[in-house]
Amino acid sequence: MSKPAQDQRRDLTALNEDYAARYGFRDPVDYFHKGARGLDHEVVEMISRMKKEPRWMSERRHEALEVFYSKPIPQWGNTELLSEIDFDNIYYFMKPIEKQQTSWDDVPEYIKKTFDRLGIPQAERDFLGGVSAQYESEVVYHSMRDDLKKQGIVFLDMDSGLREHPDIVEKYFGSIIPTRDNKFAALNTAVWSGGSFIYVPPGVDVKVPLQAYFRINAENMGQFERTLIIADKGARVHYIEGCTAPVYSTDSLHSAVVEVIAMEGASIRYTTIQNWSRNIYNLVTKRASAHSNATVEWVDGNLGSRLTMKYPCIQLLGEGARGEILSVAFAGSGQHQDAGAKVIHAAPRTSSRITSKSISKDAGRASYRGLVKVHKNAHNSKVSVECDALLIGQEARSDTYPTMEIDCEQVRVEHEARVSKVAEEQLFYLTSRGLSEDEARLLIVNGFMEPFTKELPLEYAVELNRLIELEMEGSIG
Amino acid sequence: MAEYVKVASVADIPESTLKGFEIGPHRFVIVHAAGGFYAVVDECTHESVPLSEGEISDGQLVCRAHGARFDPKSGAVTAPPAVVPVETLEVKVEGDSIYVALED
Amino acid sequence: MSTGKTEYTIPDAAPALEQGPLWLRQKRRSLQESFNSTPLPRRGLHLWRYTDPAKFLAKPSEDDTPFGDHHDAVEEIELEHLRSGHLAGLVTDLGGRQIKSYGLDQPASQGLVVMPLSKAVEQHHDLVEPYLYGLVNSQTGKMEAMNGALWNDGIFIFVPDNRVVEKPIHLLREAGPAGSVQYPRLLVVVGRNAELTLIDEYGGGSSNDGTGLSYANAAVEMFGLAGSRTRYVTLQRQGPGMRAYLTHRARIERGANMLTIPLVFGATLCKQNFGVIMNGQGAESKMYGLLFGTGHQHFDNHTLHHHAHGQTVSNIDFKVVLRDRAQSAYTGLIRIDRHARVCEAYQENRNLLLSPGTRAETIPELEILNEDVSCSHGATLGPVDPDSIFYLASRGISRDQAVRMLVSGFVAPTLKLVPDDLRDRITAFVLRRLEDM
Repeated sequence: MSKPAQDQRRDLTALNEDYAARYGFRDPVDYFHKGARGLDHEVVEMISRMKKEPRWMSERRHEALEVFYSKPIPQWGNTELLSEIDFDNIYYFMKPIEKQQTSWDDVPEYIKKTFDRLGIPQAERDFLGGVSAQYESEVVYHSMRDDLKKQGIVFLDMDSGLREHPDIVEKYFGSIIPTRDNKFAALNTAVWSGGSFIYVPPGVDVKVPLQAYFRINAENMGQFERTLIIADKGARVHYIEGCTAPVYSTDSLHSAVVEVIAMEGASIRYTTIQNWSRNIYNLVTKRASAHSNATVEWVDGNLGSRLTMKYPCIQLLGEGARGEILSVAFAGSGQHQDAGAKVIHAAPRTSSRITSKSISKDAGRASYRGLVKVHKNAHNSKVSVECDALLIGQEARSDTYPTMEIDCEQVRVEHEARVSKVAEEQLFYLTSRGLSEDEARLLIVNGFMEPFTKELPLEYAVELNRLIELEMEGSIG
Repeated sequence: MAEYVKVASVADIPESTLKGFEIGPHRFVIVHAAGGFYAVVDECTHESVPLSEGEISDGQLVCRAHGARFDPKSGAVTAPPAVVPVETLEVKVEGDSIYVALED
Repeated sequence: MSTGKTEYTIPDAAPALEQGPLWLRQKRRSLQESFNSTPLPRRGLHLWRYTDPAKFLAKPSEDDTPFGDHHDAVEEIELEHLRSGHLAGLVTDLGGRQIKSYGLDQPASQGLVVMPLSKAVEQHHDLVEPYLYGLVNSQTGKMEAMNGALWNDGIFIFVPDNRVVEKPIHLLREAGPAGSVQYPRLLVVVGRNAELTLIDEYGGGSSNDGTGLSYANAAVEMFGLAGSRTRYVTLQRQGPGMRAYLTHRARIERGANMLTIPLVFGATLCKQNFGVIMNGQGAESKMYGLLFGTGHQHFDNHTLHHHAHGQTVSNIDFKVVLRDRAQSAYTGLIRIDRHARVCEAYQENRNLLLSPGTRAETIPELEILNEDVSCSHGATLGPVDPDSIFYLASRGISRDQAVRMLVSGFVAPTLKLVPDDLRDRITAFVLRRLEDM
């Protein structure tokens, strides 16, 4: 059902012009023909030029590329899958619209089925399936943005953030996750595009959770998003991204970097649900700094992708800071969810809690990798870690690799982990009350995930439950 | 009680270089930067990689692993991903010799 | 800090390589080759993250002479225990070279083999060859290959089928003076339905006055055949001049039990790796460890419970108490293989930190490849409860005394788990160590 080439080009040109108007780049048609795979300084330069970035950002990108070349692939984790990434065969920059060249026929069956079950409206399906270029929510989005602006809140995509608030970005970009942090952070620093930029002024309480474009936004579904969130003293904000519906993308490598800063007394909650299609490698570096009496919470749901490696981190830098990481991972056949949490206690009277729940089904593998590091000066701090893993099916696998490094004796650190299958007694109890075994198992799994689900906004929770139901029936992939 | 122990000669550590030492349970690095000699514990506060395997750049001590930077004089962090300062040790230079104060 | 040091290789002319019958010499050579061609383990891997492997590498001493008349005071005590019937046998081992056994030439010992490994490889070749290097070899690691190539003399213990050795056999291993390097090796085979209790005590090691360190690189292999019951207490109490490395691996078959009690008190740098592989239905392994660190001691301990077969049970309880500037790193892995159904595995690691300046790392790991499992682990780290100290102080008890009481309370549950007949002895070891705390 593809339009004649001429029409296609006309549509694309119109869209490009819109893009140009918003992001200020020219020569869109030339670029459309570029489509080069692989990564080198030329590609990096092109990205920077097209975005018309300040010199310092351009220099950082080039420097980051050198660091990317110099660092080896991690020798830990799923080294087998990691070694399959073919860096030379990836498009490192595509305008969002160019990605959406698939036809509905190309969208995998399991994705279509999921859309059906989740009741995703057709317009959304087209977008999520990579068939259509944009989602028509512009009008609503713009009016929401105006409201925020009145309170002095900045909520933009990262490209715009750099353009409109270069001073803030220059101050904080890379201040939490420097270029040399790891290979994929270096990659992201070199080729980042899109992501969110949020600044909340002192004392402002953002009452409505900030969602990236009502969950759907080409810029926020990019391969190499860079997100920077700053809550100034006493500010409060809740940011949500992702969606439970699967997102189909032909790009196989997604490597995002998220930096979050909560100044004194501020409070930030960052909720993510990712359900990337099963061909994707999702390698994310997310880290937050919490200053005195500030709170940071990561609520992280990992459902999709072939391999996800993500360890949200909170650095507690000021006295009285608090961190909480709540993570859920569902690994179905052929998937490896390698998730975890890291907390660094670098000040006295800090507290943290990590709760990790994972489900491995059939030939799925869920791993928890965590770090709790308590420095010498963090006296009177408290840490508690709880990891629960549920195994369903003979082939399922669960790993737990928590590390605790404690350099201060005036602290309390507790860690607990449990691995089990769905308990026979529970199943028996429920089936004896008239539920089928499938229904009983689903109820148990939902109960297992409850501490996570109850932290989600309602529409996410509902969708998540439906998605789990689908996964449990084994009718996906 | 800390005692000053002779650890090296001035000539051993040229300007803008560093050298690691291990004396008993003490592992530290001596840095020659900004015209002076300074000593810090030989362990990056980020992931415990030895700082003696790093280098000096712009008068800062740079860890080879992830690029964390420390000011050799105060031990303060000047670049992430480290967030905690590194402990410093007292250094005394008398004539040609460098002395470091080591706790018993 | 291994930069700048030339890496140590085992020379072809090393005397140990020429020891033993042909089959043994061939194995030694192959281990030597493996050692020489394997690079040092990378520091990034958490197994070596907290300790520099180069610190355990030392050239074997040229001095092959025995230690003369040096006797550990403990030896006298144990000889007395033997005489009064509390032990089934006593074996002394000086520097991994001079092995002497006592009390095992009586009629009651018939069939039971306790002798130097160098003699056993000749006289009981059929018993030794199937088992030696079966569990600790070059595949285990570079350091293990070193012991495999260079052990001078070790101890061999064989308990025939159905034989119950009621009283413990006590092994006294004494490390040499400053500059000495030893490679103690122990091979134990406990026959079907047989029973053995072994106490393996590591003493000696010079005082560290800066004139030199002594090194030990020890290997312990234990095979518990079907239905056997083995109890292995290992006491590390070497002096501050000691760098001690030990790898222990045990494999138990169907219906067999193993109880391992590591008591880790000594050496200035101590890295030990205890592992039990459950290889048959109904096999059960328990490990109760106690570690006390003071001064500048640095401990790095690993435990492994590997469920290689279904319907097996394991339990680890490892307690650490640290004072002054002592450091402890503990990594405990529970692994359940894909086909190992209906297993139970538990692990607990509790750390008590008594002073600022202590450092504890704990990494309890799980690798579970079968869903039909009941598995949990827990870890805690923290100080002595300040309220309890206050309470005791208000009853006229000094702070030091109070701390000692609370530490005793901390380890008491572990001591309760120790079998009755061993409890007094182990409590004695613990109390002696606590006096220094």
